[in-house]
Amino acid sequence: MEQVLTILIADDNPSDRILLKTILSQFGHKVISAVDGQDAIDKFDPQLIQLVCLDIKMPRKDGWEAALEIQRLAGDLFVPIIFLSGVVDPIALSNCLRIGGTDFISKPYSPALITSKLNAIVKLLVMQKTLEDQRDAMALYNEKLLHEQDVAKVVYENITHSNCLEDPALSTIHYGTHTFNGDVILAAYKPNGGMHILLGDFTGHGLSAAIGALPLADIFFDWTKKGFLMRQIIPEINARLKGVLPANMFCSAAFIDVKVNNKSIEVWNGGLPDLLFFSQVADKPIRLISKNLPLGVLPPDVFECQIDPMSFVPGDRLMAFSDGIYEASDLSGEMFCHSVLAPLYRGEIEPGQSLDWLTERLKQEGVLDNPHDDISCLSIRLDTNIGIDSSGHDISKGHDEAPADFSFEYILNADSLRNTDPLPYVLQILTTVPGLSSFSSQIFMILSELYSNALEHGVLKLSSDKKKSNEGFSHYYEERERRLLSLKSGYVKISVKVTSDNNDRMLVLCVEDSGSGFDYKSINYDISNTELLYNRGFALLNQLCDKLEFSKGGSTVKAHYHWHVGHHS
Amino acid sequence: MVESFFDKKTECLTIKIKGRFDYSCHKTFKEAFTAFNAVKYYEVNLAEVTYLDSSALGMLLLLRDHAGGEKAVIRLVHVNGVVIDTLKIANFHRLFDITE
Repeated sequence: MEQVLTILIADDNPSDRILLKTILSQFGHKVISAVDGQDAIDKFDPQLIQLVCLDIKMPRKDGWEAALEIQRLAGDLFVPIIFLSGVVDPIALSNCLRIGGTDFISKPYSPALITSKLNAIVKLLVMQKTLEDQRDAMALYNEKLLHEQDVAKVVYENITHSNCLEDPALSTIHYGTHTFNGDVILAAYKPNGGMHILLGDFTGHGLSAAIGALPLADIFFDWTKKGFLMRQIIPEINARLKGVLPANMFCSAAFIDVKVNNKSIEVWNGGLPDLLFFSQVADKPIRLISKNLPLGVLPPDVFECQIDPMSFVPGDRLMAFSDGIYEASDLSGEMFCHSVLAPLYRGEIEPGQSLDWLTERLKQEGVLDNPHDDISCLSIRLDTNIGIDSSGHDISKGHDEAPADFSFEYILNADSLRNTDPLPYVLQILTTVPGLSSFSSQIFMILSELYSNALEHGVLKLSSDKKKSNEGFSHYYEERERRLLSLKSGYVKISVKVTSDNNDRMLVLCVEDSGSGFDYKSINYDISNTELLYNRGFALLNQLCDKLEFSKGGSTVKAHYHWHVGHHS
Repeated sequence: MVESFFDKKTECLTIKIKGRFDYSCHKTFKEAFTAFNAVKYYEVNLAEVTYLDSSALGMLLLLRDHAGGEKAVIRLVHVNGVVIDTLKIANFHRLFDITE
């Protein structure tokens, strides 16, 4: 290995100094001479000198003192130091190495020994240089990576700006291992009140997780805003993720639909640890196990959507967490799911305190100091006022004054009833009416009540009595699914008429079904009776509409809705 | 650690993983299942796996993809403890034939 070095030599003996300089110069090295330790320190420039040779015994400062000072001046740079010595005392020589010397050369000088020692030093320097270059390259690479993650984070935040995680019904904890980590918590108000919430855990971290999080969040917010149901959004997210992600990447997730008008929740769990439903009348939480494959694994044609419905009473709670908590290790090395979480599953933790309790345990067990995975946890305090009057605040009133006058009829027969949800489309048309978009949540609520009554009771002939208990509630929805699947005939007709005349604007929504009607004269419109698990729909409609009209024995319901431009009711 | 063995007679490729089945196995696991061509059946022996994370689940999906997706015949054998919990939470028993 041929390399020319710049070498600083310090020796108070002029003949030794000249001899060493001559030997080193012969090999082509550039030599700077110093007459003692202090002179060496003064002449030492870490950017220039690659090797220092110091005599041990020198006036003003000896070799050892000079070595320490030179090392200090060199800082992060590696500059090898070789001690020159006339003594052969092993203690003195080993001291040279102890204080950081690289080697020593005994006097009288042997050119052969000096050559071989210099060659070894050159190798060391080359190795050191390679290491430094690699370190710098790594640091630069890491900086780039962090920058890219920051970009991803900004894009993600822009998409999720409509998150309603600040809602008082929600509490979350989130500890990530990266700038952009693999966990996402999304929450959005539905146009008809209530909320969609998604807790997702992507394979991997950083950018690779962000790639999936972007379409996920985009669909979640966009489709929720447009009034699509959880059952429609989940397959769409799955299909999109399957389409964009490589085969080894997916998103374990829980999707929760909080429905306020019939006091129920629907939970889809695909690959997350059990969600816990804390009912105030039960002493133990109900566990909602993962019944589905994670999102992005199955192709759309075989994707299944297994959903658990539960009815709730205000004050009940639901809790979900990512496997970062489930799989975290406690101090003894045991997994949280086997040790720490047991009291939670047994119902020994007050549900309102469960998140604080969990944070405390994570701290105690040292998980937060060294998390091996992202940790996310979500707790929802269920109530009937979630997401009511929360939407439509940011809608511009730009063309409030433009009038509208149109009507249409949308008839769904058996096949369409089975496969389509007409509400988002109808709502889409209605919100094109200037000024009416401000009231989209109320209109959606009226529309969805009328439609689900027509479909469930009229066409499918389900009886609300079934919804009396929690089990009955699940059975009701299972039965709904079954009957819908085998539906051969029947129809629901939605007629819409919008008229506007100056400030007086009217929407008439009429929903007719093929069923035999019902005893509409005995409807209880008392909305204060919140104990009822069912039959609350008409009481709600009565509040929202100016007039409700029944005809054809109850199989046709007409709702009149009045709105004013320029201000919100 | 990943070991593999191909039985020409039965056309079965056995992949055995020891210790932690996580991202550190990524390269060797992929090499193990791409090394042979005429494979009809796959057997992944998880007897000595102490822990399995989501990137391991991803690797199993890669194998399934490589082996023909829906048509793939992949058995996960000697699956125990934490590992079977993780596979069940992810509902992987619907994609793989899992035995304890």
